[in-house]
Amino acid sequence: MNKTRTRDLIARTQIGFERRIHLWLLLPAALLFLLLTVFPIIYNGYISLYHFAFIRRVFSFVGMRNYSVLLQDRLFITSILNTLQFVLLATAGEVVLGTALALLFNVRFRGRRALLPMTVLPMMLPTTVVCAVWVILYDHDFGFMNQVLKAVGLGPIRWLSDPRFALGSLVLVDIWQWTPFVLLVLLAGLQSIPDYLYEAAQIDGATPLQMIRHITLPILSFHIRFVILLRLIDTFRIFDKVYTMTGGGPGYTTETISLYIFREGFRYFNLGYAAAASIVMLLLVLSLSILYARRMWREIRA
Amino acid sequence: MSSSSRGRQPLKRILVYLLAFAVVAVALFPIWWLVNTSLKTPLEFLSPHVTFFPRAPTLEHYRDVLVERGFLRFLGNTALVSAAATILSLLTGSLAAYSLTRFRFPLGLDALFLLWALVIRTIPPIVLVIPLFIMFRELRLTNVRVILILAYQVYTLPLAIWMLLGFFREIPRELEEAAMTDGASRIQALVRIVYPLVTPGLAAAGIFCLITTWNEFTYALIFARIPADFTVPIAIATFITEYRTLWGSLAAGGILSSLPLLLFTVFVQRHLLRGFALRGTF
Repeated sequence: MNKTRTRDLIARTQIGFERRIHLWLLLPAALLFLLLTVFPIIYNGYISLYHFAFIRRVFSFVGMRNYSVLLQDRLFITSILNTLQFVLLATAGEVVLGTALALLFNVRFRGRRALLPMTVLPMMLPTTVVCAVWVILYDHDFGFMNQVLKAVGLGPIRWLSDPRFALGSLVLVDIWQWTPFVLLVLLAGLQSIPDYLYEAAQIDGATPLQMIRHITLPILSFHIRFVILLRLIDTFRIFDKVYTMTGGGPGYTTETISLYIFREGFRYFNLGYAAAASIVMLLLVLSLSILYARRMWREIRA
Repeated sequence: MSSSSRGRQPLKRILVYLLAFAVVAVALFPIWWLVNTSLKTPLEFLSPHVTFFPRAPTLEHYRDVLVERGFLRFLGNTALVSAAATILSLLTGSLAAYSLTRFRFPLGLDALFLLWALVIRTIPPIVLVIPLFIMFRELRLTNVRVILILAYQVYTLPLAIWMLLGFFREIPRELEEAAMTDGASRIQALVRIVYPLVTPGLAAAGIFCLITTWNEFTYALIFARIPADFTVPIAIATFITEYRTLWGSLAAGGILSSLPLLLFTVFVQRHLLRGFALRGTF
């Protein structure tokens, strides 16, 4: 009697498990998301209302004071402006060059298949290795870049320590590293354009330039808009290059938002204050997030 | 354009080749310069005469990096963390992707979940790091490897889910349903029928997870505070900030830390290209 009841119970739990199996399967990933992304964002909002000095174990409610101090901090404002400058310059450079390269590699020529992987090599390197490469190239006394300048009769430049050039030098590194990414995305877009469109245009007597202008670019612009979005999102978080190559200097000319949060949080351990800065950064990126999610969502539904 | 430019006009063909080689030169020269520097003696790379090939190639910097500076340990740390984070993401991500493609959820839970996975992709990693730091502390979690494996899920799990979704969708339900009418449970059907069919997807997603985690910087910098815990990107960064002019060793370290991944990439290139068509969108 008892035995059948136990067996019954096991059977019923099994059925219950099978019926809710979709939830069970989703659970591990959902838990990871909750623990590692949802909770941290909420917790950021919470501790941003506190004066939280980790080392001295101070934790006291201050309301919105962290935010008001933050928005009056000249350095924070500078870091936002620097970040925006970096984002715009790097994205513009990468997308313009990447588009040109995608058009170039869309031409069928012998050896294209061998050259393409070489061209995309820079984006395969770890970013800090990219930084190592460019620290060596940018060196004032022995770096290759200044040797080239010298050879053409221009003075050596302090690429990373002259306030006029430092941010530009970082932009250049980012362009070198990520233009290949734009190239790959746009090349995939180009190769989705059916050949008959060009053939028809050719029959109508269109010149190659006209074909680029009236067929390629309109279709490509869809992909270009998307790759711009991706690069805006990725350059906005700029941290590793600044940390390793300039440390935010000279004189805070390359200070960025990520670096500011890092320093407040992990040099001074002003965790409440750094959390407030994190929330501001999150709000700044929010519109991009929405655009990105909407675009991807449509693509999946289509 | 493709049909007009199969290269009938010789002038245009020459122009295309010139441009293509210029592009490759710009892409490869800095990397060659790193190789070059790693093989030169300090006397040579610090001389005013530029040499494009090392005059007296030496492996002393590689020895220095591997023996004196413990790069093997950094490589080991990176490989372990990277592989474990990838496996964890593939496991949890594939279960989630399977569930999301096979079932309907109440309250639009599935849509919410997928949208959130997209939003995560746009959040700067530094924004999450302060709460994560406090959380791991409060959980008394001190093993840096475990911390990094968990923290890297922020990058890899959304990636894995979104890449796998398409692969799971392609597999006809009838296959599992047939197995289930033959008496297999859903888990058995999943393991024996579905997983073998999505291996290409797992491979493609795994490659991108490995690349992302191998190169990760922000979380590794914040959580790995002593050299014994460093991953290679952090070791290189420390090298740059602390020994600015030890170029030979810096270059050798840079090459050693990129090489495993580059070789791997070459090895799996076919998967990679297929994955890229998918990920180009992610």
